[in-house]
Amino acid sequence: MNTLRLYLRSMGILLKSQLQYPLSFLLQTLAQLIMEGGEMLAVVLLVDRFDHLNQWSAGDLYFFFGLMSVTFYITECFGRGITGNFPSMVRTGQLDTLLIRPRGILTQVLCSAVDPRRITCIAVGTVSLILGSRMSRVDWTAANILLLAESIFCGFWLILGLFLIEAILCIHSVKSVEIANALTYGGRSACQYPVDAFPRSFRTLFTVIAPFALVMHVPASRILGKPIFGWPAWAAWISPLSGFVLFAVMVLLFAKAMRFYRSTGS
Amino acid sequence: MKTYISVFRMRLRMETQYRGAILGGIVCQVFFGLILIAVYRALYAGKPQSLPLSHVTAYVWLQQAFFRMLLSSDAELMDKIRTGGIAYDLCRPVYLYGFYYMRIMAQKLMGSLLRAFPMLVFAALLPEGWGISLPASLPALLLSLTALLLGLCCVCAMENITMAFTMRTLDPRGFQAMLNLLMMILSGNILPLTLFPDSWQRVITLLPYAQMLDAPIRLYTGEYVLAQAPGVLLLQAGWTVLLILAGMMLWRRNQDRLIIQGG
Repeated sequence: MNTLRLYLRSMGILLKSQLQYPLSFLLQTLAQLIMEGGEMLAVVLLVDRFDHLNQWSAGDLYFFFGLMSVTFYITECFGRGITGNFPSMVRTGQLDTLLIRPRGILTQVLCSAVDPRRITCIAVGTVSLILGSRMSRVDWTAANILLLAESIFCGFWLILGLFLIEAILCIHSVKSVEIANALTYGGRSACQYPVDAFPRSFRTLFTVIAPFALVMHVPASRILGKPIFGWPAWAAWISPLSGFVLFAVMVLLFAKAMRFYRSTGS
Repeated sequence: MKTYISVFRMRLRMETQYRGAILGGIVCQVFFGLILIAVYRALYAGKPQSLPLSHVTAYVWLQQAFFRMLLSSDAELMDKIRTGGIAYDLCRPVYLYGFYYMRIMAQKLMGSLLRAFPMLVFAALLPEGWGISLPASLPALLLSLTALLLGLCCVCAMENITMAFTMRTLDPRGFQAMLNLLMMILSGNILPLTLFPDSWQRVITLLPYAQMLDAPIRLYTGEYVLAQAPGVLLLQAGWTVLLILAGMMLWRRNQDRLIIQGG
């Protein structure tokens, strides 16, 4: 509980500091809007030209896109400490100061940054989600709403866990290891489309190793009434939990890597 | 002239220093290329288009291969502007616009060539329907290389304009980020311009952003037939000259009202 209060407090302070330069903040937020708007435009134009992707209609595709975009940018907003700042913390030796404080490293890293500019990206994703669910005539029962919430919540931990891979590699190599981004940003680009559009190797990658399909596509396809893989209804409730599993494994590996942490001394 | 050529050569050498980072970048870019092509293949399977799939895959690979040409801002130069280090460059007995133009050009040229070669070789080895196909004809290849060179000049002129704006606002993350993102969309990196609605393409292909990579790629795949080539190259050259003139004007204006940051 104490940790949560600490987190909220640091979020408040960080927000205040970001709003010290309102014009710069506004422009950056607008830039984010253009970025995510451009991504959505690509999907809209593709749908306009091709009508559908396998069994997925235009509305379904907007729904999948919106789900990915909302989840990914919520993670980038609140997980900024891990998704953005960690490599530079290792390189500059800033991480050392965290070691002497009476709190866990990950907690402190998460408390150290927030990225409110992503709000426009989340907004674009939300619009896409609503648009998609309208077009596909989703029946918003309590179960469906709960399932969507579960998917987004588990997705947050999944993506945070994937970003931890970069952090772990970074502890060993000091330099930020861009190759780890292939799984996070690549996963976002690929899994904004339903996973069954991809050939087997990609499908395996995004189901077993980076389980975007289990966390997002299984529940989303259930909400849309076209379950993929032919799995029963209860599977849609269980499979998103794989996001937690991945995160837990990464936290263990992170703790292990921290034992090898050597300060750069600068 | 000798000064500008030596700046160019120095930056060329700089770019070859971080080979590990280059390899990582290539792997990422290849992965993205494969994902995009997988999506387009699935879409094509549902509703074939008049534009052949092989043109789309060639488009994707060339865009991925020359990604660095579009988006590689000179972080060092940005820092110089922000910290006031640019004062040293102002003392040099050179024409600043040309000095930075060469610097940016070397970075973009080497950065993209080092990545493009291995990536295109890899793409050529991929099976039919995934990889890059041969150019439409030998003249088409030569023309597209010429167009690529012109595109490089164009993108450098654009980057210099962005840089001039940075000198005004001092924060590269707002306005400049917007310009860069606009470039990603309108130059065909996020979605091939050939897949935009046909009515949009008539306008978009005239914009400067389409001159950078889209025009060379269309010449390569044969989307633009040989008879159209002179018009395309002329349009590219026209935009390049215009953007260079605009950039020079902006830099001159900036130098008149320059405020150096900090000590």
